[in-house]
Amino acid sequence: MSEDVHKTAEHLLAGLKVEGISSAERKWLEAHLGSCARCAEYAAAVERAVASVRSVSIPPNPTLVRATQFRVRLRAQELREQESRMRGLWISCAFSWVLGALSAPLLWWGFQWVGRHMVLPDLVWQTAFVLWWVMPAAVAAAVLAGLRARAARENGIEESSRR
Amino acid sequence: MGTAICWFVNSVASAMEQEGQAIARGLRQRDPELLDRLIEQYQYRLLRYLLFLTGRKETAEDLFQETWLRVLERGRQYDGKWEFGAWLFAIARHLVIDLRKRKRLPEPLSGAGEDVQPLEAEATTDASAFELLARREEGERLAAALARLPAVYREALVLRFQEDLALEEIAAVVDAPLSTVKSRLYRGLEALRELLEGAGT
Repeated sequence: MSEDVHKTAEHLLAGLKVEGISSAERKWLEAHLGSCARCAEYAAAVERAVASVRSVSIPPNPTLVRATQFRVRLRAQELREQESRMRGLWISCAFSWVLGALSAPLLWWGFQWVGRHMVLPDLVWQTAFVLWWVMPAAVAAAVLAGLRARAARENGIEESSRR
Repeated sequence: MGTAICWFVNSVASAMEQEGQAIARGLRQRDPELLDRLIEQYQYRLLRYLLFLTGRKETAEDLFQETWLRVLERGRQYDGKWEFGAWLFAIARHLVIDLRKRKRLPEPLSGAGEDVQPLEAEATTDASAFELLARREEGERLAAALARLPAVYREALVLRFQEDLALEEIAAVVDAPLSTVKSRLYRGLEALRELLEGAGT
């Protein structure tokens, strides 16, 4: 029997365990193993190797399980509280934005009146209006960015583990 | 017969998908009961996998807890299409990699660490003292053989033959192409066979 035949049998034996083989290949392999002691011994060795991986176990650790469940529950509670705070912040942001949008014309007239009353150049009172109008959104954005950065640090978030 | 097998396979696949969806829903809601159940259900598999990756009992136990905290925080990213175990192992694996980067841990299960825990061959409770001793020795022999395998081969073998993950799931867990996974399995199996043959003689 040529060496190539044994090599093919060895490859098929590994293939059988790793990804499966076709029924024709299986038939050929069975016939070959029936007549080749060397490959039959190889097949038994592969079987032993797979069985050795399957047979490894670890002792149970109920303390670890209970401690983990406790920590997970505690963290879940923290996250719920955090989310509730964030929800409040988002609602107030949305409210302030709507209010800002609705009051913009009034504010514009107000700044215009003050600017004319104090004889200021148009650019000055218009800049003041823009700053006044943009300020709440800028503060809210800064607070949110800060909170997000802190949460990322606490959770050790890394892009690599995103799936 | 063929139809019956098809029906059975479809039923199992459908049941697994439904379970995956149920887990995804529970994780989105951060359901504490579901998390308790999952922690109990996956305790052996996850700890065993972490032990294989780190080779240290204390580190594996710390990472076991960290993994579940990460599952809680990232639960919304699980869509239920994959088996939950594969997603869980991927999280655990990333935590091990992060830890190794941070603390410059040695190659997992290098066999050089003093606190490497010997893994045990499965034992039944009604075994005699002699049988227990023989199994312990067998377990130590297996652990030694596995410890001498390169980590990437060992990981692939464990995921395939111990955790029974599909090749595609292993590829997702280890973040490698399917061809790489297959190659690692073939080479790992051959290396393990040689190691066991060598240890047995």
